[in-house]
Amino acid sequence: MAKGKNKNSSIKIMQNKFYPVIFLAIIVLVAVVLLMYVNNITRAKILEQREAKIVNQLKNIFPDVDKYEFKDDIYIILKDNKSIGYAFIAKGKGYGGEIQTLVGIDKDFAVKEITVMSNSETPGLGSKITLSSFTGQFKGLKSSEVVLSKDGGQVDAITGATISSRAVTDSVRKELDKKIEIIKKNNY
Amino acid sequence: MIETKEKFTAKKFWKELAKGIVLTNPVFVLILGLCPTLAVTTSINNALGMGAGVIFVLLGSNIIISLIRKITPNMVRIPVFIVVIAAFVTILSLLFEAYIPPLYESLGIYLPLIVVNCIILGRAEVFASKNPVLLSMADGIGVGLGFTVSLIIISFLREVLGTGSLEIFGKKLFAIPVLSQSPLTIFIMPPGAFIVIALLMALFRLLGVLKNE
Repeated sequence: MAKGKNKNSSIKIMQNKFYPVIFLAIIVLVAVVLLMYVNNITRAKILEQREAKIVNQLKNIFPDVDKYEFKDDIYIILKDNKSIGYAFIAKGKGYGGEIQTLVGIDKDFAVKEITVMSNSETPGLGSKITLSSFTGQFKGLKSSEVVLSKDGGQVDAITGATISSRAVTDSVRKELDKKIEIIKKNNY
Repeated sequence: MIETKEKFTAKKFWKELAKGIVLTNPVFVLILGLCPTLAVTTSINNALGMGAGVIFVLLGSNIIISLIRKITPNMVRIPVFIVVIAAFVTILSLLFEAYIPPLYESLGIYLPLIVVNCIILGRAEVFASKNPVLLSMADGIGVGLGFTVSLIIISFLREVLGTGSLEIFGKKLFAIPVLSQSPLTIFIMPPGAFIVIALLMALFRLLGVLKNE
């Protein structure tokens, strides 16, 4: 008896003309609450991962780093409380979106090493900018030499991925010039 | 009575699961979800990651959509499906970024694009919204596995022909001497995807024809 009554009333609810709207709103609400919850439990971990990734890369570029300071978007690498180098992130627009490159330089502003941190280039083609066969070419270059060899510089572009290669090269050079100015001005 | 009923469902469960892999293989038979298939099959790594992601989302969305199928008004069913699917994809991408960052990076843009993978919406509309939960689960796993197997076959051929070597989780498995020096780069590029998929589809058709005879 009770069951039948229940069924009747639920049919009544479903025939209400506002029911679809209310139902969709409830689904959206549930989804939002669930996502807020997942976001909350993963946020700390995600930030930690991003930070760890940068620290890890800094250690790769500067093996004898004691600690680093972060000022004006520049990582100042310290050893015995004296700066031994700098690192920063250069952003360029590639074929598939933004490319972020971590650039490490020494006290004389020559490139020590670059690492592509994130990119959405074509897998297997533009994504080769992450390989050391490409990034290795930047080692020891001064800012004026960080130009593709077809534009008169020192960096060979990846075959079939000139746009990606140029995006990295140009963003590194431009950012490098900017940072050198800041470093000199503030005497970091 | 109860025993026969349970046996029946278990049998149906496996049948539904197997169907997704072979008979209704999403890529080669239904020809669904071709956009991500063309895009991510440049390496076997990406294929495995994408496959795992799609299985998770497909299983989750099939369960939820099947559970609410009787109270979902017909008028708003598509928005409801999309919200459910998008929620699962967002959860997946947060989990990937927090716990498997290398995979998160290599999948890049294709991870959020699982939302618009027509296989998932297709299974919600065709199967999960009309069938009980257990069968929908089987369908989700089966179709998800079918998709993953297809991705693995395509990406294996493309990676081997296009780069001359094979790499899984950063470990180089093998390299073909002459091919790796001058690989057939076209297979890594978009036209290669079309060529490989077309040849495999033809092969599946041929197998189907031979089986019927």
